[in-house]
Amino acid sequence: MIRHHPDNNLLVEYASGSLPWAMSLAVSAHLQLCPQCRRENEHLNHIGGGLLEGCEPQETTGDALDRLMQRIDAEPTAGGATGPERAPESPKSRSRNTRDDRDPALARLPRVIRKLIGDNRPLKWRRVSPSLKTTRLTTGQDRYEVAFQRICRGGKVVEHDHRGREVTLVLYGSFSDADGVYTPGDFLLREPGEVHQPIATQDQECLCLSVVEAPVHVKGPLGWLVNPLLSFRPA
Amino acid sequence: MQQTQNRDDDWSKLLVLVGTRQDRSAFERLFHHYAPLIKGFHYSRSAQAFSSEAADELVQEVMFRVWRKAASFDPSRASANTWIYTIMRNCRIDMLRRNSRRQDADGCDVEVDDIWDESPESQPLLVLQHRRSQRDISEGLRSLPAEQSHVLEKAYMEGKSHSEISTELGLPLGTVKSRVRLALKKLEAILSKQGAS
Repeated sequence: MIRHHPDNNLLVEYASGSLPWAMSLAVSAHLQLCPQCRRENEHLNHIGGGLLEGCEPQETTGDALDRLMQRIDAEPTAGGATGPERAPESPKSRSRNTRDDRDPALARLPRVIRKLIGDNRPLKWRRVSPSLKTTRLTTGQDRYEVAFQRICRGGKVVEHDHRGREVTLVLYGSFSDADGVYTPGDFLLREPGEVHQPIATQDQECLCLSVVEAPVHVKGPLGWLVNPLLSFRPA
Repeated sequence: MQQTQNRDDDWSKLLVLVGTRQDRSAFERLFHHYAPLIKGFHYSRSAQAFSSEAADELVQEVMFRVWRKAASFDPSRASANTWIYTIMRNCRIDMLRRNSRRQDADGCDVEVDDIWDESPESQPLLVLQHRRSQRDISEGLRSLPAEQSHVLEKAYMEGKSHSEISTELGLPLGTVKSRVRLALKKLEAILSKQGAS
């Protein structure tokens, strides 16, 4: 059961379109896993619809409709209102028989995450420590660092805190820290300065999506050694 | 009152006509109703999130997408206003992204509609909407204390994050957040009622 959700303020920013791209991606993946938040999101869209209906109309330019109809006529699918539009799968995501296809942790993921993987495959996992592998994901923005973090069974990640906001979305398996146990769909937002040390549960490895506003800061005497591009350091 | 209710139904019916038959006269009626609202949402005397020209451009793009996507409109799942709102929001995100970033700088194909995914299959199955509710929501919005509706308008119409609103209004972030939450709490009663009816 999903116990950790984005709060309503974050959902409002998502539904109104002001939440940054990478954060919205994590919220979107959560929504695809969480009927409760999907419902809330519907409500928030509905508020948008109400504001649209209630706003003060402004005249558009006189030729607006003509221009639009010309554009519609010029469409290759002229006169055709097409079905629901789906972006075609990128060629990369169609390539088959890679190791990613056989990876159980990647087998059942939200649509938006599958699309993201399609854009980034083959995934290149980098071993950060015996217990942690990571792969950075390009998402079409550079303000946030987006990555999969993969903790092996029972693996520990070094205690760390953050200079920026960090979202963690559990996608497979589970992990725990001092505050509780997190399972697939759980959405955790940590504010700058919060310290935590995630530990994967014993029976299964854990895959998370992480979205970090600024590079993570490692506590402890070796902090100065940290490559600013690394999200996590070995325990 | 009755009239308002029927009107929202009418817009939905027109959208269905556009989706199923590419009905141009239905589309023109939708355009005459929604184009000025879409423009007003972004450009008005009180708030100018966009210039008049940019708002006109947005109107073109939104209504173009309304035409193209009308076949995916399902009146049992969403009201016309809400459906058009989501198209408009995605369109605006697209436009702002295009202006701010080198296109496909990192070769990523994730698109606005992947992240703000309003395709029917992503909607909850049992959202029983929205016949009466759109009117209720509009009334609910009007009944909010000004300071609460103001932050909602800044968020939705001007596309501002909570922290941008807090800077602009000179209010602590916590105050902006709690105003939004209070507004939602009031509207929630209306929104839940509509879900259950």
